[in-house]
Amino acid sequence: MSTEQITAPGAPSPSGETAARPGPRAGAPTGRGRGSLTTRRAFSFYVFAGPWVLGFLALTAFPLGYALWLSLTNSDGLSNNSRFVGLANYREVLTDPETLSSLARTGVFTAITVPLTLAAGLLLAVLVNQPIRARGLFRTLLYLPAVVPPVGAALTFKLIFDRDSGAANGFLDALNIDGVSWLMDPYARWVLITLTLWGAGNAMIVSLAGLQDVPKELYEAARIDGANTWQTFTRITLPLLSPVLFFQVITGIIAAVQSFLPLLISLDPTPRGVTSVPEGNYLFMIHVFAQYFANGRYGYASAMLWVLFLIIIAITFLVFKLSKGAVFYAVDPEPDKTSRPRTLGGK
Amino acid sequence: MSTTTSLDRRRFLAVSAGTALAATGLSACAGTAGNSTGGTGSGKTTLTVMTVQNEWPDKKALKAAEEALGMNLNVIIWDPTKLNAMLAAKNPPDVVRGFGATETPYFAARGLMTDLDSYFAKSSVLKASDLDPVNDVWRYDGKKQGAGPRYGMAKDYSQDSMFWYRTDLFEAAKLDAPSATEPISYDEWLDLGKKLVKRRLGKVKVYGLNATGMGVFPQLMGMTASAGGSLFAEDLATVDFSSPEALKALQWYLDYAKADIGPSVSNPNPDGWDGPTYQANRMAMSCNGYWFGGLIGGDPKLAAVSRFAPAPQLGSHRVSSCFGATGFWIPRDAKNKEASWKFFEWYFGGKPAQERAASGWGIPSLTSLRSKMPQTSAFQKQAFQVQEQELPHFSVLSFTPYAQQAALEGVLSKVLPGALKSGTPAGKVADTLNSRMNEQLAQGKELVG
Repeated sequence: MSTEQITAPGAPSPSGETAARPGPRAGAPTGRGRGSLTTRRAFSFYVFAGPWVLGFLALTAFPLGYALWLSLTNSDGLSNNSRFVGLANYREVLTDPETLSSLARTGVFTAITVPLTLAAGLLLAVLVNQPIRARGLFRTLLYLPAVVPPVGAALTFKLIFDRDSGAANGFLDALNIDGVSWLMDPYARWVLITLTLWGAGNAMIVSLAGLQDVPKELYEAARIDGANTWQTFTRITLPLLSPVLFFQVITGIIAAVQSFLPLLISLDPTPRGVTSVPEGNYLFMIHVFAQYFANGRYGYASAMLWVLFLIIIAITFLVFKLSKGAVFYAVDPEPDKTSRPRTLGGK
Repeated sequence: MSTTTSLDRRRFLAVSAGTALAATGLSACAGTAGNSTGGTGSGKTTLTVMTVQNEWPDKKALKAAEEALGMNLNVIIWDPTKLNAMLAAKNPPDVVRGFGATETPYFAARGLMTDLDSYFAKSSVLKASDLDPVNDVWRYDGKKQGAGPRYGMAKDYSQDSMFWYRTDLFEAAKLDAPSATEPISYDEWLDLGKKLVKRRLGKVKVYGLNATGMGVFPQLMGMTASAGGSLFAEDLATVDFSSPEALKALQWYLDYAKADIGPSVSNPNPDGWDGPTYQANRMAMSCNGYWFGGLIGGDPKLAAVSRFAPAPQLGSHRVSSCFGATGFWIPRDAKNKEASWKFFEWYFGGKPAQERAASGWGIPSLTSLRSKMPQTSAFQKQAFQVQEQELPHFSVLSFTPYAQQAALEGVLSKVLPGALKSGTPAGKVADTLNSRMNEQLAQGKELVG
């Protein structure tokens, strides 16, 4: 083999010698030129990474740091007399019954909506993955609600479930059934859950993408082995879909605990509107909004958000731990070079 | 030596952080810049006005306003959350719409409002001698409302404990209409509401009464005052729902909500105000001031069956206050104060003010415009007459500088529904309200100093 052949740096040459890094050939740029190339590459890296880094620093790191500072003060955002209060706000977050009850309510809301949305999305995905006529149309129609901005969806629900002029009570009236105050307790929480489920098209589209990645040969092999539909679904589809479902569980939990929909379907999304959110829908983020803008407690509300941030990290960590063995990767996310590649089923 | 050492990753990140912080700092500095003139490059001043959606309902109306003012208007839709954020960033709008009665002490105590006394002193359009007493709710001297510098001006106002009623529903219930001159008692009012309510299958189909048009807290303030007491202590730093007068007001409200004859904290009106319900023959009596007549006057059929009545009284003190006095104010950090004042003169003393006065949507805040209030139809004559008789009983009820109304309403809407459900006695409810509201007020006081 000619020495002119390109050899990977550090790789053994056919002669058994380790190839040196390709050096400058005669007439090629000198060390200065090589430095310029490195500089150009570095410069490109910085130019392309720079906007993101600046954006991250200005729009994420700085606000987070500022909120952390605020959480250690009694600031109301408007007065000049705010002072450092140490961890007092955090102590209050962990002992205030109203904060804790809103947190508990958020936990229940999350525990209900995440599995329901996941199941609804998966069911829809399985249905629209069938070889049926006008499949594209069904997929589009089912996905449409997920494209509607949350504010628009909330306003639509507010109109549908309005006590006096809403379609829901109009329908009940047509059946000679007395209408109800849907947006008040005890119905409001069900309207909220329905609104959340209405956006299940998002979960559907993610699950559908996962379903289409499942190799058809596996289904054929299962059919030859005599597996029925349920067995195929539970032994092939679900395990192969588990990373996708796991992703949806994590993102679903994060979205649910930060849900702001109750305020959007209450009378008006202003500080005064906070007072009209029914007790059953008074979630953690609504309480945060009330503390910030109705009560003017920027410090306390910032502490609440930091606590929520820590809770989300803890839940995510816990879900990762609990999901070990339940999520199956075709390719190990952390390959152990000493062992053979993991096969289907994680064995 | 490698040339990359001059731009290593660590240094790059440090420089980026510095740039980001500097950018943030510059933005904040820009917000604190003094009386510079905002411009568009065309030489015209651009005035940023935070107001409601229907102030200038279309582009034509906005254009007409801009031409009349000789400046460009940058309209931001009124949103208290956005306003708080802009004030906190020291980059507020030039002119802000607000409720003088409940907001002035809060913002003034924090030094966020511009003292307008010198502007009024030199104005040939808005003279202090022509200002209706309602404009005193826009004054705050550091201790109480109604005295001290003027921080804003009302565009119009009403005495918000007065009420409207539908004669057709009274006739159907074979009840005598309330007097146009003598206020009825709150107990009589509640009794009328109970008689006028209509239910079907146990659910309210026609409300007998809505007892609060501008919020529960101000209503309780007014009721307590009419019983001879005060909800706030002298220094405005605490509330006392346990005083005999306040307790009487609270007990009345609990009785009203329990009777389920109208919107309340445990059954809020989804519309947020009485207009649609009253117009749809589904409310017999609506506690709203003169401004509500603007809506009624626009519907001849409704006007034919609507009449106005004095504010009910809880005790012997005939107090009839205003809980809104909606108007505009100029933030201390506003960039175009001279232009803002020009807006004030045009909006409060010019053509818009005259048109508003003639529309029936509220009493004009300049006494010289009062003659323009509509008095043509029988409905308008009756409303005007009742309103004229009520004016001498107007007084300013000082609101606290230590909390926003929304915060106090928030406590009421958290405590009262549970108390109604469990049948908690008014005395215990009062204790809970005292404890929770006073805690909030104490936090506010610490900040204001």
